[in-house]
Amino acid sequence: MSLGDFLDERTGYRKLTRELLDEPVHGGARWAYVWGSALTLSFVVQAVTGLLLMTAYQPSATTAWSSVMYISHELRAGWLIRGLHHYGAQAMVVLLGAHLGQTALYGAYKKPRELNWLLGLALMGLTLALALTGYLLPWDQKGYWATRVATNIAGSLPLAGAAIQRALLGGADYGHLTLTRFYALHVGLLPALLVLLLAGHVALFKRHGVTAREGAVAARTEPFYPRQLGRDLAVGLVVLAALFALTLRHHGAPLDAPADPASDYPARPEWYFLALFELLKFVPGDIEWMAAVGIPLALGGYLIALPFLDREPSRRLRPRLLLLAPLALAFVAAAALTSSSLLADAGDSGYQAARVHSDARAARAVELARRGVPPEGPLAMLAADPETRGPELFAQRCASCHRLGTLGPSADKLTAPTLDGFGTERFVLALLDDPDAPELFGKTPFKGMMVSFTRPPADPALAADFVPMPLEDRTAIAKFLAAEARGTPRPGSRGEILIKQHCTSCHRFDHNPPLDESSLGPELRGWGSLAWTTAHLANPGSGASYPQGAMAKDLEGHMPAFEEELSPAELSLLASWTLNEAARVAP
Amino acid sequence: MGNDPANDDGDAKAPRDAVEVAPPREAVTVPSPRDAGQVMPPRQVAAVAPPRRRVLGVLVGAGSAAYAGALAWPATRFLTPAEAPRAEAAFVRVVRLDALEEAVPVRVRVRGDRRDAFTVTRELTLGSVWLRRTGNDVTALSAECPHLGCAVAVTEDRKAFGCPCHTSRFSLAGAAESGPSPRAMDPLLARVVDGWVEVAFVRYRHGSQHREVRG
Ligand code: HEM
Ligand code: FES
Repeated sequence: MSLGDFLDERTGYRKLTRELLDEPVHGGARWAYVWGSALTLSFVVQAVTGLLLMTAYQPSATTAWSSVMYISHELRAGWLIRGLHHYGAQAMVVLLGAHLGQTALYGAYKKPRELNWLLGLALMGLTLALALTGYLLPWDQKGYWATRVATNIAGSLPLAGAAIQRALLGGADYGHLTLTRFYALHVGLLPALLVLLLAGHVALFKRHGVTAREGAVAARTEPFYPRQLGRDLAVGLVVLAALFALTLRHHGAPLDAPADPASDYPARPEWYFLALFELLKFVPGDIEWMAAVGIPLALGGYLIALPFLDREPSRRLRPRLLLLAPLALAFVAAAALTSSSLLADAGDSGYQAARVHSDARAARAVELARRGVPPEGPLAMLAADPETRGPELFAQRCASCHRLGTLGPSADKLTAPTLDGFGTERFVLALLDDPDAPELFGKTPFKGMMVSFTRPPADPALAADFVPMPLEDRTAIAKFLAAEARGTPRPGSRGEILIKQHCTSCHRFDHNPPLDESSLGPELRGWGSLAWTTAHLANPGSGASYPQGAMAKDLEGHMPAFEEELSPAELSLLASWTLNEAARVAP
Repeated sequence: MGNDPANDDGDAKAPRDAVEVAPPREAVTVPSPRDAGQVMPPRQVAAVAPPRRRVLGVLVGAGSAAYAGALAWPATRFLTPAEAPRAEAAFVRVVRLDALEEAVPVRVRVRGDRRDAFTVTRELTLGSVWLRRTGNDVTALSAECPHLGCAVAVTEDRKAFGCPCHTSRFSLAGAAESGPSPRAMDPLLARVVDGWVEVAFVRYRHGSQHREVRG
């Protein structure tokens, strides 16, 4: 007795297989019937890849992003698994549209299949809910902000809105519990329900058989195997191939920068929810739930009512055109709204710029994270990264007055020195030559306080005695100061001696006050170094850089102290980035 | 579309012999099998000629295998992590030489950065080692029992090492004396730099005679 016989005697599997394979396809195999199978196969892809993702994904606000980064960039084939899951979700939405459209056109919702139509609608709801909950899981900017918008809409519902929102978030704010709740829905409740309803859907389908196309000839009825199964499988393979192609082309799924509740982010949902998103632009805020929830509900209500409205046994299309019109309209409206949203973004330079910024941040976050994320999570990692945090702090705190690289006001709006090249030899030479140049002190309250070492003073009496400092000496001074700034001082060099001879009448040096005690000349020891610059940002009038007088009220437009707004770590990070950037963009 | 008479299913010359023909009905509503109490005997529904059926069968089989394979292959790769490239174990400072008494085994903690998947934690206790000083030299033994990884302690008489789990016993030099341990305690590289003892902390696989680094 073969193993097959042994099993068959005990399970009767042969009869079952035969029954499944010989399931009659009324009116013959057709490509139009493939969508349900294609959806089921896609769900299998989602379940397999989803289960694999679960072996590496860690749902918490401090680890979710890093674990998804790890899947995408470190684990073998992780990018492939994640890409298949990502594009598989989108494929399911597309296939849902095809399945719904085909069954509606063929009149497959009619008696006796009303209940199966309803099951199908429930399956659609579950699939969309899976797509929505999955989108949050990477805890990146995209998912985080899209979910914030979606849950805020839920929160704006009358009566129970606030309670629903709290229940979804697991509290008042977005965090660990929001993720674990969405995770439990995404990998637990929703797939379980989906499998259950899918079993019912298939059982009812077997009971009633496929709804043949109007006019189909019963004589062409044939078994499911091989021709219909072949078609189903072929389409399934084409879908899978498309998922592989998309995944290969984009090398996996995108991952935006880690979710940052304090950032400005232009939230957009995944493309299949864009139509709803676009709709909100036209609806006043206080009734937006009517559009965001009401319209899908109305559409759902219509779809639920459809089999009960349409009781005509004939499945001819023409008499049903009017009844199906709302569905067609919904498809057209969704397409129109979606393209309008895409067009609006494509033509919106502000949005494009925000996207570029966010993409750069995402790339940097991945670069840093591959070296290891601290236990505090990826936001702490980015906050400690001068390359990320530096330009942000500079833009917020410094760029209203100073120019550095591409940041800061245009030349005519400068009210503080341009920092390009600050700390370099050239910068010092420029200062010695013309301190009141517009890109130096010329537009600041310090104008006229430092003398030029190459140009005679305006006062003719003083100009008579003026001797320009030789280039050689100026260069020696510049070399000395640039070395101080780089943190590689050259004590005792000729530059230091020259400074003691020519500069200490106005400048502090080694904390010795200048001859002219009223002078605001800054400390030159360590000028432009990290310590000097950090102290300067904390408080420009502490004496570590400039003397207290530099903060005098009547010196309108002087630089403010940041020690109360920024932490010591931020001050030193900002100073360090500014110095590096100044050297990098030096003219 | 429903009104369109020219659809391909309307082919009157369809092979009828293989199929039980349903009586013509209004709008050809094909009845569902159970509604009509109709079961299709397999022989009668074989609308596809046997040779073609065989070719299609092979294609379907190959297609299914391709589908399953396309998922199974990345899944297998995903679940079997590549061996991590083995970095040279760096020497870590553990204790001042002055703090060690001649010939007395002392257990010290090794601190360092630990990488766990994507998380890097700085300055964590990674494990501990047994040190024994002989003059200006120090020997280091891993405190992990080579049997199954319990922490090895010094016996009460202070004359040997003993493992509390399955009572393996080792000499103070680390040699296996009794019990199930398959090998001697694992020696680690140790050196003295500027008065500090430094150890290159490595973990070995448990339970085998051979010493194999655990990546
Ligand atoms: C048994 C079924 C499923 C399981 C176990 C599962 C599991 C997971 C897990 C662990 C993640 C997080 C990893 C990541 O973001 O890369 C995820 C993400 C996601 N899931 Fe699922 N999932 C399942 C089914 C589905 C279905 C049916 C859909 C949609 C129709 C879906 C849509 C998504 C989406 C859109 C994401 C975000 C992926 C990304 O953009 O990277 N999932 N899923
Ligand atoms: S672990 Fe030490 S004897 Fe078993």
